[in-house]
Amino acid sequence: MTEIFDISYIFQSIPLIAKALPLTLSILLLSLFFGSILGLLLTALKVQKNRTLNSLANSYVAFIRGTPPLLQLFLVFYGLPQMVGSFGIDINDWDKFVFAVITFSLNSSAFLSEIMRSAYLAVESGQWEAAFSIGMTNIQTLLRIIIPQAFVIAIPNLGNLIISLLKETSYVFTIGMIDILGKAKLIGANGYGVRQLEVYIGAALIYWGICILIERMIHFYEKKYNQQPLKNTDR
Amino acid sequence: MEFDLQFALAAFPKILTGVPMTLFITLFSVSFGLYIGLLIAVCRIRQIPILKNIAAVYVSFIRGTPILIQLYIVFYGLPEFLTYLNQSQGLAISAEGLPHIVIALVAFTMNASAYLSENIRSALNSVDKGQMEAAYSVGMTTVQGLRRIVIPQALVVALPNFSNVFLEITKDTSLAFSVMIVEIMAKATVEASSGYKYLETYLDAAIIYFVVCYIFGHIFVLLEKRVKKYQEVNL
Repeated sequence: MTEIFDISYIFQSIPLIAKALPLTLSILLLSLFFGSILGLLLTALKVQKNRTLNSLANSYVAFIRGTPPLLQLFLVFYGLPQMVGSFGIDINDWDKFVFAVITFSLNSSAFLSEIMRSAYLAVESGQWEAAFSIGMTNIQTLLRIIIPQAFVIAIPNLGNLIISLLKETSYVFTIGMIDILGKAKLIGANGYGVRQLEVYIGAALIYWGICILIERMIHFYEKKYNQQPLKNTDR
Repeated sequence: MEFDLQFALAAFPKILTGVPMTLFITLFSVSFGLYIGLLIAVCRIRQIPILKNIAAVYVSFIRGTPILIQLYIVFYGLPEFLTYLNQSQGLAISAEGLPHIVIALVAFTMNASAYLSENIRSALNSVDKGQMEAAYSVGMTTVQGLRRIVIPQALVVALPNFSNVFLEITKDTSLAFSVMIVEIMAKATVEASSGYKYLETYLDAAIIYFVVCYIFGHIFVLLEKRVKKYQEVNL
């Protein structure tokens, strides 16, 4: 070991690690997509007046929120094949990617449903009445009046969720996937593992950069949508 | 493979022995993180030059990178840092045999300190400036004003977020197994691989985490009620 710490190595490793970026991002985006659909369903169950449906959705959310995402990943990756295996279905040869997306879809759906519900309830009930008074149907009201307003309310929480989900996708390396962290570990293992620290710092910088980017985007949209009503409603 | 209830029940007490380690890491890092977080928050609120910038970058970095990477950076970085200290300062701290628990505690304390500093900062900022002025006007000192007027009000704002950070850290400790700490997750993995009964053992672990989070969540709800007492008197 000639030098203890070599800063230039960090920057050399970044482009190499960044090759794993598509994998990390596709897990993130697919999970958000499926998570939103599932989250919407959960929200629908939660805002119902039916007690059984409410508690069903609530206990699901409580379970997801009360257990570590890493454990959820292990449950899905190791447990799911065993579970469906008892029904005679063999999914052992499925790609790890599928298990990762299933895990993070299930995980994000719980948090998304919480965000959606609070945003939905934050829209005044007078908005419903106003829409009905001009003859809109339930679905029209929901699509044209309620959801656009609820979305604006949800933006900051949505941003936080995306950021924490991005960071949680790094757990997939524990099941042997080559995401950003997995790539870093591989590169770090080259050269007798002398430059591990530099490589991990490189990976950290990539995550940091994406997080800052997401934050900026959220901030931009927050501003953009929050200005609109002010512009249009001036007397 | 059928779900083996017998195995799940037999493994439960064994996995339960990982709870003290999980709790130890959580409680240690949250309590020390609170002090460091307070220092960071004060640097940023008081706008101390240079220190406030360093604090902002530190907090942004920790919040923008996965805890798993932070663990690895400390794992590889701390020994190198100690070697560097030894060489430059002529110290003789043994870097080789650094216990893994030290690495986990350092990483989680740093992580907690960043999140808690934001928590403390927003709570202190939420208290109206006039409150401190009012305290001065009746002849209180700064310490008295802080202790009797500002902090009790800030606590009400801080507690819900603090509870979130605490539970996040509790769940994040599941990643400590990657630096070879034997806590709930590691115990479950050991049990699982002994009989390839992943579903059973990880479900056990999930139940344990859930109960731990539930208990702490409940304690915080009770605490919130306690610190909100002064509001009832006002009404």
